[in-house]
Amino acid sequence: MATVTDPPTREVRMGRLERLPWRRVILIVLAVFIVGTVSIGALRTLTLPEGQRYSADAWRDFVVLGIAQGAIYALIALGYTLVYGILRMINFAHGEVFMLGAFAAYFFVDAYAATGFLDRHPLPALGILLVVAMAASVGVAVLLERVAYRPLRGAPRLVPLITAIGASLFLQNTARGFFGAQTRGFRKPEILQGSWTILGSEMPRIRVVVFLTAALAVVVLTLFISRTKTGKSMRAVAEDAEIASLMGIKVDRVVVTTFAIGGLLAGIAAVLFALTFEGVNFSMGFRPGIAAFTAAVLGGIGSISGAALGGLSLGLLQAIGPSLILTGYHIPSPFQLKDAFTFLVLVLVLIFRPGGILGTGEAEKV
Amino acid sequence: MGPVPLRSAIGGGLIGAVVSIYLALVGLTERFSDLELVGEQVTLGRVLLVLPPFVAAYVVTRPRVVAGVRRVPTPAHGAVAGAATGLVSIGAFAAAIVFAEWFDVNRVRQVFIAASPTLIEFVTFERGLAAGIVLLIALGLVSGVAGGVIRNASPQLRSPLVLGIAATLLMGLLQRIIPVAMRELGVEPDFLYEPSGGLTLAGGIGVFVIAVVASALWTRSGPAARERARSTVREQPATRTALLVVLLALLGILPLLVGAVISEVLGTVMVFILLGLGLNIVVGYAGLLDLGYVAFFAFGAYALGLLSGATLNTSAGAAAPAFSANLNFYIAVIVVVILAAGLGLLIGAPVLRLRGDYLAIVTLGLGEIVSILTQSRWLAPLVGGPQGMRGITDAEIAGYSFRAPQHFYYLALAFVILAIFVSWRLSSSRVGRAWNAMREDEQVADAMGISTTRYKLLAFAMGGAVGSLGGALFAVKIGSLTPASFEILVSITALAVVILGGLGSIPGVVVGALVLIGLPGLLREFEEYRLLIYGGVLVAIMVLRPQGLVPNVRRMRELQEDEVTQDAWANPKTEGETEETYAAVVAGGRLGAEPEEEIDE
Amino acid sequence: MRKQKFFTVFALFAALTFVAAACGDDEGDGTGATGGTDGATGSAVDCEADEFGCVEVAAGEPIHLASLLSISGETAALGTDSNHGIELAIDNLDGALDATPGQLLGHDIELTQEDDGCSAEGGQAGATALAADTTVVAVIGTTCSSSALGVADTILSDVGMLLFSPSNTNPGLTSEEAHQPFYARTAHNDKIQGAIVAEYAFNELGIDTAATINDESPYADGLALAFRDNFENLGGTITAIEQVNSADADLSTVLRNIAEGEPGAVYGPNFNPVCAFTYSQGADILPDGTVQLGSDGCLESSFVDTAGSPSGDYFASSPDVTVFQEGAFYNDEFLPAYQEQFGTEPTAVFHAHAFDASNVLFQAIEQVAVDDGSGNLTISRTALKDAVLATSGYEGITGIVTCTELGDCATDVTIGIFQYPNWPVEGGEDPNTPVYTDTKTLADVL
Repeated sequence: MATVTDPPTREVRMGRLERLPWRRVILIVLAVFIVGTVSIGALRTLTLPEGQRYSADAWRDFVVLGIAQGAIYALIALGYTLVYGILRMINFAHGEVFMLGAFAAYFFVDAYAATGFLDRHPLPALGILLVVAMAASVGVAVLLERVAYRPLRGAPRLVPLITAIGASLFLQNTARGFFGAQTRGFRKPEILQGSWTILGSEMPRIRVVVFLTAALAVVVLTLFISRTKTGKSMRAVAEDAEIASLMGIKVDRVVVTTFAIGGLLAGIAAVLFALTFEGVNFSMGFRPGIAAFTAAVLGGIGSISGAALGGLSLGLLQAIGPSLILTGYHIPSPFQLKDAFTFLVLVLVLIFRPGGILGTGEAEKV
Repeated sequence: MGPVPLRSAIGGGLIGAVVSIYLALVGLTERFSDLELVGEQVTLGRVLLVLPPFVAAYVVTRPRVVAGVRRVPTPAHGAVAGAATGLVSIGAFAAAIVFAEWFDVNRVRQVFIAASPTLIEFVTFERGLAAGIVLLIALGLVSGVAGGVIRNASPQLRSPLVLGIAATLLMGLLQRIIPVAMRELGVEPDFLYEPSGGLTLAGGIGVFVIAVVASALWTRSGPAARERARSTVREQPATRTALLVVLLALLGILPLLVGAVISEVLGTVMVFILLGLGLNIVVGYAGLLDLGYVAFFAFGAYALGLLSGATLNTSAGAAAPAFSANLNFYIAVIVVVILAAGLGLLIGAPVLRLRGDYLAIVTLGLGEIVSILTQSRWLAPLVGGPQGMRGITDAEIAGYSFRAPQHFYYLALAFVILAIFVSWRLSSSRVGRAWNAMREDEQVADAMGISTTRYKLLAFAMGGAVGSLGGALFAVKIGSLTPASFEILVSITALAVVILGGLGSIPGVVVGALVLIGLPGLLREFEEYRLLIYGGVLVAIMVLRPQGLVPNVRRMRELQEDEVTQDAWANPKTEGETEETYAAVVAGGRLGAEPEEEIDE
Repeated sequence: MRKQKFFTVFALFAALTFVAAACGDDEGDGTGATGGTDGATGSAVDCEADEFGCVEVAAGEPIHLASLLSISGETAALGTDSNHGIELAIDNLDGALDATPGQLLGHDIELTQEDDGCSAEGGQAGATALAADTTVVAVIGTTCSSSALGVADTILSDVGMLLFSPSNTNPGLTSEEAHQPFYARTAHNDKIQGAIVAEYAFNELGIDTAATINDESPYADGLALAFRDNFENLGGTITAIEQVNSADADLSTVLRNIAEGEPGAVYGPNFNPVCAFTYSQGADILPDGTVQLGSDGCLESSFVDTAGSPSGDYFASSPDVTVFQEGAFYNDEFLPAYQEQFGTEPTAVFHAHAFDASNVLFQAIEQVAVDDGSGNLTISRTALKDAVLATSGYEGITGIVTCTELGDCATDVTIGIFQYPNWPVEGGEDPNTPVYTDTKTLADVL
């Protein structure tokens, strides 16, 4: 480093080596390598000998399953993205908000299944389940905000993040203590069993419902944020909390509302998830939670469309990635690596686009 | 009730009741109903019953600011307020118990599995509902009064009393260690500890009295004497070296004192101290939140296995890995550490430009990738897949094997001391200062010419190296590896150790590991609630004392300086209340509102 | 300067360490008691010669046994169930299952229950704790193979404490290379279970293509491998080998992948909820008529709860305890006693193996313990181990127990295949008899 005693000017001559933009070179090499690996893998998978190749049906099913799973991720990711937009913090405990909503609904569905109410009047029953799950999730989310996050509002970034991780562990194990470690069966009403034939292929009814609900949620949420007064307040606070409070917006209330909306969405996602997989368990929020905020980050955290896009992309990646790319390299049991594959994609996306797919280097705001 | 508002007492009492109900429903109360702490009557379960009223009263009867004047309740006020709080607290809890009984416990059990007739029996002291509830309420009331009185006793009485209670409880909890150690020293612990329980009644009273007296003397000896003692240690190198030698000697003979079981637990503690030290470099020094630390742990363990001639488990017995070498442990470990540093560079390189949350998630993902790879069939020919690896070297030197718990302890201790030395030198070196600058404000540091790239990479490399050392040691300790040991939980535990102890603080890491790994290891009943406690501890520490238990002074200031201290005038520092003031200022974040300390589990 | 001082101290310490360690060696690592050769007992057991010494049980003192099972966490149902089996065996010592514990050779039995954590660390911690307690005669455990393999079996063998497992099924534990001298098990070797299921699928159901799907546990991996080897030997074809994580809920893509190969059967020898998820999701995704098979890890009440009633057949294999109804002991006495003492039907199947293991152990103790005439017992550790491994022709509720040198005591194993929902667990429907049973010996499969 130049010090005071150095002569005022020095000849600056950088060698050719120093002049190379190293970072860009590495990125380009990496990009070429990745594109190469992916295309070669895909090519090999698609040109496998007849007996080993996937049928068109299989691809269609993978896509459908991927989108279906992606819809669930999107629903959960919406909660993450909303909170991040307002507080710039990833609420690691959102997965547990989701899980507790599912448990609340479980006790009701158990009772209803036993008395037959579930099958006699499925729509009212489902309605009640949704309400119960939403109420529980909202309750937990608001409590979480009040106890764990509000006291840390101004603290350095690290602190609320770690608190969130702690809250996640705490809530998970509280559920384990309360309800036990065994998985409980979540009965699906008859009208949701079986499949519908849409566009020539059979799709499980519940998955269609999930997709439609997620799409609806994205639309409603976007309208809510852009048209209503509360939505405007949320956008204002997301933009700049201090100015917003100067403009008369009660920041605390907006934050609570945001958590509540996130909880609402989590509750809906919880019932749908439980119906899809027919089971609830204290750790059911953990992996979907990680997947969902991976999705949110992938799509560009802080934006609703980012969450939706991220969720769908993640679902598709998990379904198609192993089958399209890894099979080509004859990797044994490729589906076991689907999570690894997903995270790898996340890392790569963030290398090339640090803000996620819809991001621009800076996180977009809600 | 003097300056304590009734509303506060009721509110505090209700929170206490919620905590009591929570403890009962999550199963803690019943699980520890048999764990005797003092004599036969004072079990941990019962302590958990009376603790919420006590703590609620303690907090509720704190000094308050009324009309701009700080009013301190008299002990009498404290007693009344405490009684009210305690009554509400235990009363609401008792009401819940009565309700459960009336509603039929077995129906409640269908939702909350911990609600059982056994629980009700325990809560009513096995005297039937009526008498039991009365007794419960009476105890809660007394507990509340005690809390209120102690809080407002003269400062010279307060800390000794609180410390006395804490010391007695702690000694009771350590019932598996201290008698063993005493026996090894040739002292029969019968006067102090029951044969298979906690402290004897006499022992409990004795411990309490000694703790109170010692604490009172220490407080009374006045700040001058304490300051003199501290400065002697700080300034005279001879004293420091002497203390260091004594400490090392103690550590050296520890395994002989405490026997095989405790040495085994200490061995695990050592492994996590290493992990904590490594993570401390990344998170504590350089401020990079790494949630995927298990990657280095797994790498260290498996790499050591492969390099020192371990074999893969298969149904047929043993198979050779696709790649392996048969190096001596000490050479292998050096290779592993170097490779891990390389892995750290590899992991750090792509994440250089990511900030805070993104970095956390990406590192989480990378950790998960490694975790998944250890179980995968794809890499099974190399690392054994689900069945894992066997036959890890026992690090023998000249025929002396380190596999047995007491011997492993020494190996681990040597590595821990090395890691502590490296961490310490790093922190006070130019590198450490660069990290400080980077952590406090990255852009400014960059502008000052500190190459954030280089120092971030260095942090990952060093952190990775130390972490992999922990992994290698773990492999030697257990002797065989299965992927189940390399899940995300390891990353979270390491993080919890560092956070609890204090970010950037080396003694903090040791304390954190002792508390979070050592205590559950010794008190096997806590094993089932280990994660619950980790979670609660993380939240509590961050909300109440973000600088950790043994803070690094510099970090402490950093973690608290972001708050606007406009209401500091309302809470002037009084003797011995520095920590409370900090907490009161950090908590709340509401300008001008009365700061309320949160009661947490 | 400081650096120099530090290194001096470090060197001093290192020297101290080695001195201490050398002294520490003499303490030993908790090997057995000093041997019963004081003149007063006049025992006929040569404890000095026994490398691991003897356990002395004074008159009036209980015989100290221990269990090292999974009693917490997700696998708690398995371990607790086995503990119940041991407790019933202790009860049965007085000849009746009447909730009053019996006595062995005039001594009570004290049972210490440790947790194996279903992991290597848990196994190590538990085994170390037990190994350090020289009053423990023998240990019944572990539940999970991962706690035993290379960990608990080694630690306990190093001090001569017998580890007798009611539920370890991993073949490696009794293999030539890995077997520890003081290890035995009444649970079957998974090679047997895998072979019987393969034969059932191939011969009885007439299926010649199959896929396997296992989770990341050594248990599932080993069992799936055993199935595949046998299935292929019979002439079948394996269409896919898939792996999932035990925490996964969405198995649809894996199942779709398996469906592509159109296997006649899918074998998923896992734990719950993966078993239940495989079944319920597989019912929709796999082609109609695909048979699904699981193993004893699936045969749990939580499967019944979670799976509901999907279409398609599901079978799970498990030791068939209903076969041994001569005298109807199991159905008429054991099960009612279980229900009465523990408030529930059995949640898993290994209680029977734990019962048998305990009884074999009691028998062996009776054989080798030497009473000096006034009620003081001396039990040689090596002799006890030898007696257990020499057990032959013992009629237990799981079958004929004959132990081999390598510790496999379930040499004659009857595996039953039970069709869902007629399972012998809480929530299963009657009649809960198997649709197929077969008996194999180890020699058949090794």
